[in-house]
Amino acid sequence: MFQYEKKLQYPVKIKNPNPRYAQIIISQYGGPDGELGASLRYLSQRYSMPFAELKGLLTDIGTEELGHLEMIGAIVYQLTRNLTIDEIKKSGFDTYFVDHTTGVYPLAASGMPFTATYLQSKGDVITDLHEDLAAEQKARTTYDNILRLVDDPDVRDPIKFLREREIVHYQRFGEGLQIATDKLDSKNFYAFNPSFDKHCMKNMNNNRKNR
Amino acid sequence: MDKCKLLRELSSAQFAAWELHLYLDTHKCDEKAAEMHRKYSDRAAELSAEYEERFGPLTHNTESGAQWLKNPWPWEYKECDC
Repeated sequence: MFQYEKKLQYPVKIKNPNPRYAQIIISQYGGPDGELGASLRYLSQRYSMPFAELKGLLTDIGTEELGHLEMIGAIVYQLTRNLTIDEIKKSGFDTYFVDHTTGVYPLAASGMPFTATYLQSKGDVITDLHEDLAAEQKARTTYDNILRLVDDPDVRDPIKFLREREIVHYQRFGEGLQIATDKLDSKNFYAFNPSFDKHCMKNMNNNRKNR
Repeated sequence: MDKCKLLRELSSAQFAAWELHLYLDTHKCDEKAAEMHRKYSDRAAELSAEYEERFGPLTHNTESGAQWLKNPWPWEYKECDC
């Protein structure tokens, strides 16, 4: 189960609203490499993970991503508070405003609403971990791009924190992949899928014992 | 410690504990990391108890109703110096 803790993982305190920044940053809420996709990806993939270390890793990183989703929501919310109609028109936020007012809705900066096609849960440990490694790098690039577009230090600070988390998660997933491959047939990682071809797994263990 | 400082100290201790928790997922036999994890978790628990005692609940386990509902919520902008 999940329990809510009434605090952010890292503080978000943005003095000056800026709807243009909000429209860019919302991509990390519901865009192709955003935090919603990240949490759903890991929390869905974990069911078919074959080893305890990976079940733990996917559960923990997926949970942390929900905290990041909340931080991005807070950034977008604070960037769009107390806006006048004039500011909304001038900033280009009007195309978002017409559908959502200043409500936080999961979509990409381009306007594309969130879709589960942003993620995969393939039921194969090698495939899923490679997807996860790529996902962390894609999110890191997106945060790099946000840092190229945004000057306000109040906004940059939590974005830099989130960028660093992508790098740490990438490191942990790399170690997870190492743990997984160590447990597979070193001559052929793809000889079988340990989540599906369980009988092969048993045979492998028996063969090892008999060696 | 004022509210902002206490919240920051709590978040730092929680973050250190969490980072070690993730590390231990892939290094389950690292005793030194496990010891550090215990240290930061204990510190986070102390600070969390102090915060809840003085400023209201962080989870539903501590208190419900008016105390739980008290503003501000975490995503709201707060004027403060820290």
